[in-house]
Order: sequence, then C-alpha cells, then structure tokens
Amino acid sequence: MVSIQLHTEPFEPLHALACWQAALVELPAGQPAAESHFLGRVRATTANGERLTALELEHYPGMTEAQLQALAAAAAQRHGATAVLVQHRVGRVLPGETIVLVAVAADRRGPAQRCGQELLEALKHEAPFWKREWSGGVGTWITGNTPL
Amino acid sequence: MAPSAQTVMHVRVRLFAGLRETVGWSETQVELGPAADSALATSPTPAQLWRQLGLQPGDPPAGVRVAINQQFASWDTALSGGDELAFLPPISGG
Repeated sequence: MVSIQLHTEPFEPLHALACWQAALVELPAGQPAAESHFLGRVRATTANGERLTALELEHYPGMTEAQLQALAAAAAQRHGATAVLVQHRVGRVLPGETIVLVAVAADRRGPAQRCGQELLEALKHEAPFWKREWSGGVGTWITGNTPL
Repeated sequence: MAPSAQTVMHVRVRLFAGLRETVGWSETQVELGPAADSALATSPTPAQLWRQLGLQPGDPPAGVRVAINQQFASWDTALSGGDELAFLPPISGG
C-alpha cells in the first residue's frame, strides 16, 4: 500500500500519520507490528548560514508524483514493507514547517527502518524537486543535498 | 496510422528551476524534419536538441538530467514527434 501526497499549503504531519495508521488497521492482515517515521522541517538558516526567509519548492507536476510512487513501491518491495506513506510540500515553505514526511509499516523494525532511510535518500536524488532559498530578498537555487 | 512525409512533428521541450531562469524560457516546441525549414532529424536525441537550442554549455552538462514523457532517459535516446522532453537541473528534494 503506497500513499503519496503533495501539499501546496502547510500540513500537520501527526494528523497525516494518524489517518494513515487508521487505514493500516483496516488491512486484511491487520496493523503491521513495526513502523518507522521521518519528519523533515525547513531549517532557519541558508546553506551559507544566513537567516532564511522561506524555501521555495518547485516540482515537475505529474513526473514528481509518478517518481515518488515508483520509488516508494520499489523500496517497499525490496524490503518487504507492507505500507509506505510519503507527503511532501511544494511551493513556498517557511522555516520550521514540515517539508517531508516518510513513514513505513512492516512486520519488523529492520525492514521498516531500512526501507524508510533508503526511500528518503532516493526521493532526495531521484524525485524532481528543486529548492530555492530566499534570504534578504534574494533567491538562490540549491544544487545539492545536505549531508546525511 | 504512420505520419506522412508532410506531417509536421514537434517535440515539446521544458526547462525547470535555475536552468529555466538562466535560459529565459520555460518551454518551447521544436519542429522535427523532414519539414523543409527544419535542420533537425526526424528522430533527434536530447543531446542534439540541447545544442540546437543553443543551451549552455555547448556540451550537455553532467549535472543536468533528461526526462522523456516524464521518465528519466539518456541523452542519446531517439525522440519522436509528440514527445515531451525535459532538461532537469540537479535535484534537491526532501
């Protein structure tokens, strides 16, 4: 079970998790025993250490959703995970707001954690998103990812 | 039905993020041969279109990736009329 959603407005990650978990209870085999969750927020500073006004997230409508779906399905299959949830912001995101939520449900903690980490790294490099940092009225496109 | 020699075939080319802003346009339609005024082959590659459109640097940069019909593809994939080609600058999601 793969669930993908892009948000153009702030979303409440714990509410999203609760909704997803309620759906897991309804699975024919019942709620999986293990879950891993990752929640990423926009940090308050730019890559150069200046105060960040906002982060702008551009995406490729259609391809981004399809890539997220494919990456999540592939990771779930590789690790034998039961369910995967990915929620991601697009547009203007403010410091402290949640930018990404990845959750994985599996029968055991190992697959849940490994699948979640692999999927997070995959979406950072293989899903078409582009970040622009805004600070002091100047926007700067980011051409890489922060270190793991 | 196969297109006739008179059919005008196009590829939709899209740019994103910093690449779009550097170049100054977000999308364009490229006419493929054998139209009389087209210098392009009937099945050009993304690398050929990159050069034909005058995108810089002249050789496709290592950090830019290609998507055809919203799927990652290689720079030497043969394009067909109706395809959507996107040049994707370095990705930074999550």
